This record gives sequence, C-alpha cells and structure tokens, in this order.
Amino acid sequence: MAVNSLILIAVTAIYVAVMFYLGWLGYKKTKTSEDYMVAGREAHPVIIALSYGATFISTSAIVGFGGQAANLGMGLIWLTVLNIGLGILLAFVIFGKKTREIGQRLKAVTFPDLLGKIYQSQFMQVVTGLIIIVGMPLYTAAVLIGGAQFIRETTSVSYSTSLLGFALIVAVYVIFGGLIAVMYTDAVQGAIMLVGMTILLVATYLLLGGVNAANSSLTAMAPLVPENLAKGGMTGWTTMPVFGSSIWLTVITTLVLGVGIGVLAQPQLVVRFMTAKNNKSLNRAVLIGGPFILMMTGVAFTVGALTNVYFYQTLGKIAVQAAPGGNVDTIIPLFINQALPEWFVVLFMVTLLAAAMSTLSSLFHTMGTALICDLWGRGRKCALSMRANQVGVLIMIIASVIIAFLMPGSIIAIATAMFMGLCASAFLPVFAVAVYAKRPDLTAAKASLITGAVVWFIWALFINTRYASVYGLCKALTGKASLLGLPWAAVDPLVIALPLSVVVIVILQFYADRKNEKIVQLSPAVQ
Amino acid sequence: MLGINDPWILLGYGLSIGLVLACVVYGLMNWNKGGD
Repeated sequence: MAVNSLILIAVTAIYVAVMFYLGWLGYKKTKTSEDYMVAGREAHPVIIALSYGATFISTSAIVGFGGQAANLGMGLIWLTVLNIGLGILLAFVIFGKKTREIGQRLKAVTFPDLLGKIYQSQFMQVVTGLIIIVGMPLYTAAVLIGGAQFIRETTSVSYSTSLLGFALIVAVYVIFGGLIAVMYTDAVQGAIMLVGMTILLVATYLLLGGVNAANSSLTAMAPLVPENLAKGGMTGWTTMPVFGSSIWLTVITTLVLGVGIGVLAQPQLVVRFMTAKNNKSLNRAVLIGGPFILMMTGVAFTVGALTNVYFYQTLGKIAVQAAPGGNVDTIIPLFINQALPEWFVVLFMVTLLAAAMSTLSSLFHTMGTALICDLWGRGRKCALSMRANQVGVLIMIIASVIIAFLMPGSIIAIATAMFMGLCASAFLPVFAVAVYAKRPDLTAAKASLITGAVVWFIWALFINTRYASVYGLCKALTGKASLLGLPWAAVDPLVIALPLSVVVIVILQFYADRKNEKIVQLSPAVQ
Repeated sequence: MLGINDPWILLGYGLSIGLVLACVVYGLMNWNKGGD
C-alpha cells in the first residue's frame, strides 16, 4: 500500500527540516576540532543515553533482526538480554567510566586514537583504523539498504533515489555539524523511535486479540515450521531451536553472541563515553539506556515473530512465505504496510528514517575520522584538521553508498553480525586490557589484535557457510561452500576468534607483568 | 504463561525486564555520584 503522498511529503519535510535545524545548531556550536570529534566532552546525560541507544539501534535491528525473528522465532529475545546486560550495564559501568577518564586525560578523540595513545603505538592506531575502514562500510551499507527498502515499500519513490536521498541528508549535517550535530539529531531521532516502537507493540497485540491470544496462536503454529527449518532444528516460533542444531548455532552464536558481545567494542559507541563531562553523566545515562534498548530490540523481536500470526490469519501463509522472494528483510515493512493504519505507516516510516539516520550519522563520522585522523594524519597536527576530517567523512559516505548498491538482498542482519563479530574479536580484549591493566603491554595487544582479526577473517571466508557465501572466495578456490562440515560450518567466527585473542592477550600480558615485576625488584632505585 | 510454554523463552523475557530494572535502580542510586 502506498500511503497518501501529500501527508507523507509533509511529515517527511517537517522531519528533515528539524534535522537540518539541529545540524545547524551543531554547526554553530562547533568551534574547535575537539567539538567536531568528541562534542567538546560536555554532552548532557539524556543526549548521551539517547544518542548511544539510537546509534546502537538501526534499521538493521528493527527490519533485519525483526525479519530474522519472523523467520526463526522469539529465541532472539536472548539478544535483548545481552543488549541490555552487556550493551548498557557492562558497557557504561565497567568500560564507559574508565574510557571517559583515560580519553580525557590523554586527549583521545577517536577509538583508534585512544588505543594508540594508551599503548603508545602508531601500529595500534593504524591497524584499528584500517579494520574500521575495511569492515564498517559493510555495516553502513546494510543500514542504508534497510532504510531504502522501507521507503520503496511505503512510497512510490524508487530504491536508488531513496537510498541516495537519505544518505545525502545525513551527509550534510554530519559533514558540517560534526559530533555535536550527530548527537543532537540522535537524541530527537531516539525519542521518535521510542514513540514509534511503543505504538507498534501495542498495535500489534491489539490487532491479534491481546497478549495471551496472540502468543497462543503463534505457539499453535509450530506444526507449520517449513521442512528445511524443522530439519535444521527449529521447533516453533515461541520455542528455542533444538540445542546444538544448526539453527540453534546460528541463532545463538551469530545473532545473539555476535551482536550481543560485539556491541562492547564498537568504535562509534565507545566515542560516546568520551563525550561525557564526568562519570555522573554516564551513571544517569544508564537509567535511560536500559529501558530504551528493551523497547527497541524487545519489541522488534516480539513483533517480528508475531507477524506469522497476522499473515497466517489473513493470507494462510507464514511470514517468510508472504515475503516477496522469501526475503526476510521485507517482512516487517510488509506487515506494517498491510496490517496497520495509514497514520502509523507514516509514523513508522519516520521511525525507521530516524533509526537509519541516527546510526548512519555516527558510522559516517567514525569512518571519516578513522580515515583522516588515524590513517592519513596519524600523530601529526593535520590529523585534527576539521576540514580534512570533513573530506574524510565525504569519501567514506561515497564508498558506503557504492557498496550498498552492490550488496545482495536479505543481507541486513548478517552484515551487522559480521561487523560486530569482527569488532569484538579484534578490539574487545585489547580494549579491556587498555582500560584496566596497570601497564598494558604493546606486544600482547599487537598479537591479540592480529590473532582476533586474522582468525575471524579465515573462519568467515572459509568455514561459516553464511558468511563464506557472501564473499564467494571459498567456493571459487575449493568448489565447496565450507572447508568443514556441520556443526562447524554453522558456528560464528566470533566464537572461535574471540576466545583465541583473549587467550593470547592474557598469556602475553601476564608474562609482561611478571617481567616488569622482576625489573622493579632488581632496580636499585627502588630498593 | 501468557501463551508461551518454553521456559527458555520466558526466562529471556524475564531477564530482559529484570536487567532494565537493574539499569533504573543503578541510575537512581548513583544519580549524584561521579560528578568531580
């Protein structure tokens, strides 16, 4: 259903005007490079919480993972558990405060810059920046695709026009307004998302006859699980897949652990901690962040699974059969367009625009500053040039848009899990040691970073069939979809790469600490 | 309960809500801490 174009144009125009106004406010407040890079380190706790949450939650979470819940069921709720437990509580309380304190002391302005300064190593800064430049455009493209698909479903605007259109709007306020504009717009976008998702949850349950009736209907649909999914271990939409089955491994290792742990070492989220004036701001942000994430992912996964009830009652098909071409990324947009009133379709389009733009703006900013501050200008004065970083943001926006046009369908959730898994495998142990060890050891960090990244890439390219099929390298070189059979082919690279990079850094850091102790004991200066 | 029979799914929902409450309590208890 295409909604009334006049209403749609009016609402979209108001929304875009508000974003440009906030972008202009950011532009006016941006006087120094520190303003452009870390919002002057004086962000308000409410803005930090909403900006963190809105950056964290993109169209990928709502459309991509909502579609995965429609396909694989409510087991994804375990990702919400990790999103809140690790992504908010652990991230703010354990990592956030230390990151803010160290970032402020060392005057770090980006995540690679922070690691480079803690380890006193350009290698750490450059390699971290390089992983961002290589991996983040894939995630950015997935977010772009999610937004463009919904606009195409809802309006008569073509896919390519909508993709270019909203990339351009975000580009303008990120390039000129820097992180202050990003966080101001994020906060308003986060508020819109909160309203949209709350109404979506209530409207869906009302439509399906209430909580008990809707859930019971979904439970009763278990015999309708498609044969290929049932063979893989799926038992229904309100039950977990069979423990250890290929679908259980996909749900738990890729979707739940990949994204749940991956969020802890996301460069664009770590920067949020460095924008806080003091730890009080971060304490207060936790109060808003937790409920916000529940209302985003908890609602997306619940409604995603429940779309099966709606499609079965109206079309006699389960959700994935109702989706054009079986593309799970189209299920949520299709459900919204067919099941809910026109005014909500318009509101939800703005919600999705807000979700996409709030994530895109941070990704554009992080990639641009990684390209200029961490790779091109590393350690030199020009690294902090505002004009140079603006050019860097523009270059990375163009690269991401090109990748979005090249990527296949049904890719949103997978591309997101890939980037988050790579970040966790390569960055998380190094980041944890950096903020908590007395003397973070450079050799241990280098070995861990390289182990995490290399093992992740090898497993993604040659073992995990979902990822390997995206790259096509394994098939081209060996003629096989994966070098190993099940269950390994269903195991996410993160599950292998992260423990290995943890073991490497723990052993080498322990060895370095022992060596330092001996040096201190032998040193006559301290005797 | 509420039309869902799998204890693992119910535990997932229960933990999600429990952790949100923990976030709220943590935020309120530390509302004025860490200012300097």
